[in-house]
Amino acid sequence: MSFSVSLRDVTLKYGDTEALSDVTLTLEAGKIHGLLGRNGAGKTTLLSLLAAFRRPTSGEVLVDGRPVWENVDVVSQVALVREGGDFDDTDTVKSSIETGELRPSFDLEYALKLAERFEVPLDKKVNQLSRGKRSVLAAICGLAARAQLTMFDEVHLGMDAPTRDAFYKELLDEYMDRPHTVILSTHLIDEVANYLEGVVIVDKGRIMRHEDVEAFQGMGATLTGPADAVDAVAAGLEVLAEQRLGGTKSVTVAAALGAAERERASAAGVEIGPVGLQDLFIHLTTPRPSPHPHPEPEKAKPSQSKDDRTGA
Amino acid sequence: MPNTVTLAGRRYAFGLNLFPATVKYFAGWILAAVVLAAIVPLIVSQWRSVDISAWYIAANAGKYLIAIIIGGFVHTLLPIMVAQGLTRREFATAMGIFGLLWSLFTGVIAIAGFLGERAYFSAMDWTQAVGQDDPGIVLRSVGEALDFAKLYPLSYVLYGTAGALLGAAIYRSDSGWLAILPVVPVTLAVDDAMSHAGAWGPSWLVQFTSVVTDSWGDWGAAAAAVAAIVIGAWVARRIIIDSPIRSKQA
Repeated sequence: MSFSVSLRDVTLKYGDTEALSDVTLTLEAGKIHGLLGRNGAGKTTLLSLLAAFRRPTSGEVLVDGRPVWENVDVVSQVALVREGGDFDDTDTVKSSIETGELRPSFDLEYALKLAERFEVPLDKKVNQLSRGKRSVLAAICGLAARAQLTMFDEVHLGMDAPTRDAFYKELLDEYMDRPHTVILSTHLIDEVANYLEGVVIVDKGRIMRHEDVEAFQGMGATLTGPADAVDAVAAGLEVLAEQRLGGTKSVTVAAALGAAERERASAAGVEIGPVGLQDLFIHLTTPRPSPHPHPEPEKAKPSQSKDDRTGA
Repeated sequence: MPNTVTLAGRRYAFGLNLFPATVKYFAGWILAAVVLAAIVPLIVSQWRSVDISAWYIAANAGKYLIAIIIGGFVHTLLPIMVAQGLTRREFATAMGIFGLLWSLFTGVIAIAGFLGERAYFSAMDWTQAVGQDDPGIVLRSVGEALDFAKLYPLSYVLYGTAGALLGAAIYRSDSGWLAILPVVPVTLAVDDAMSHAGAWGPSWLVQFTSVVTDSWGDWGAAAAAVAAIVIGAWVARRIIIDSPIRSKQA
């Protein structure tokens, strides 16, 4: 049993500022979803609604088909792990972990095993931990919550690269052992891209895109090969990113290649790969002059749920 | 918190478990208060006669400390517990249980302190006088000491409720501290009614509180305290239930 997520016409205002505007979104249960967006786009606000940290100004937030606000059966199975975690800083690490036992599903043994593996000292106070270790502690508590909906909001901040890698692997292992719904909010897009099954891009308080990863990857291509050949194939296409090493060039283009173009590229010795999620994200969320507006989201979303609405 | 706790029972288990943990944490503070209340008069007696109750000061400072502790707990633990999957209603119930236990426990210690001091002062032939006026009210027997101290547990619950309300209001809103405007005068006035020696605190703060309440009598004062506690707890609960969890600062 994992939890689906549904927001219907949700708006959340901070004073006069709309952090989320008329958002409608459905996330399928039992998948790992990526939540991407620029700073201040509304990612954290969206997650805080799903965890009942906040109540929307208008609209409805449903988790597992049920209103989440003050719903003990739901919130006890929902975990939102914020950067640095929510701890009493004067508590010891061990005591902070044990607090998780308020959840009937919390796995203390697993949490302590992870603490040992990630070398988080149990006897230290939380305020004595480095930023990285504190992030690890938060991640451990999130994993050990064994919730049906687990959300990690920039929880990797402060972790070094090996620790992040180990965390992602542990997250995936836990997910494989016990399928549940996971939402990862992050700026390190390429690091998590391989783990994601669905991607939601939030921009300026609205859902800009919601697609399966494959759909995103089909929105563009990476061309790699001899520089001249790559330039020839990419001519006339919108280039998102390019790299050059000696005579070899790699170009990311924001267009799906047709059969003829693929054939021509192959004949010229150009390899075609999927577009990088990060390049695509930058392309989609970077404001451009009016002659080249953002792609019309509704038209470019064949796999998008009927319930999802874009407001970009 | 043992993981055998059920979803239905966890609010009670959390509130109950917080009590012994807090007693353990503040045991040193309580012991220090007892020791100081015993030693300071002994030191003073070397130079002059002892004619004021040291425990009176400790017990009344304790009222403010109770308010700060419970208010601090509400303010600090609300986001942590919601992040642990508790509803605000569960949290409010847990804090109510904890607050009641902690306030009554410290209130009973306050009574025991007055009785113990009565015996101590009697043995040393000192004067156990209470109140901020000079001269204060002299407690001449165990019965008088008990009569003076009997409403302290209720007074502690009153201050604890005030602390919870302020802690919740300050968490709820940046301007929540404005809640002190009604809460502090009401708390001091009701406490003044319950105490034969008047409310305790800075004179500029407490001098206005006795105007209305001096004639209420013990039962009237206790009834007013219960009413203030019930209303204060209800308001605190409403604030907690309505509170969004604040964003974390980068």
